[in-house]
Amino acid sequence: MDESEDVPKDFIELKSEKLSVDEVSELVVSPCCGAVSLFIGTTRNNFEGKKVIHLEYEAYTSMAETEIKKICRDVRQKWPSVKHIAVQHRLGVVPITEASVIIAVSSPHRAESLEAVMYCINTLKASVPIWKKEIYEDEYSWKENKECFWTNSGK
Amino acid sequence: QVSVLYFARSAELAGLRCETLSVPRQVTSLQLWEEIVKVHPRLAVIRDQVVFAVRQEYVLLGDQLLVLQPGDEVAIIPPISGG
Repeated sequence: MDESEDVPKDFIELKSEKLSVDEVSELVVSPCCGAVSLFIGTTRNNFEGKKVIHLEYEAYTSMAETEIKKICRDVRQKWPSVKHIAVQHRLGVVPITEASVIIAVSSPHRAESLEAVMYCINTLKASVPIWKKEIYEDEYSWKENKECFWTNSGK
Repeated sequence: QVSVLYFARSAELAGLRCETLSVPRQVTSLQLWEEIVKVHPRLAVIRDQVVFAVRQEYVLLGDQLLVLQPGDEVAIIPPISGG
């Protein structure tokens, strides 16, 4: 294996195809790393007693990618031993139980990648311009993350 | 002339996803909002929830002075719900 190829990389993708945990894990695996930590955000089938039929996501794609890059940069500052970071977010219709977001981080030891994954998803929910619409049986609702940094509930 | 992008609820209220608007070159973010609401009055209901993204940087609605160039991208950003 050519070790000069193993430079730290960020893999950021917004796409409408079904996400694969295997694919995202493979992106961050590295011979120098003993830990790969993963977060998978899946769609729930209910909200406040209403049945959710499916979710729909849209994004300000170019800015979302830039904001995710900023998150990766912050992760590397806070946890310098982190090796690779992969963030994939699905757009369009996401059926119940399928993944809407997968985040994977590799590091030599487990503490850093576990903390970095949590930081990534928390910050993504606060600052990345992606929107989710929950489709119920007879209505729909644009969701608002409580983490959103400019709304009152985020303060 | 700037490109205005609408997302999520703001796209539903405005009835479109993007358009070109003529706005003053120097304007506060609140004044810019008011210019846009003149064109799409239905947006007024979300005024307290939205922010702008000007050249892909977040800007709160308020006194911040914006210096806009022709072709700049201005996006209406309703409360986000990624992840």
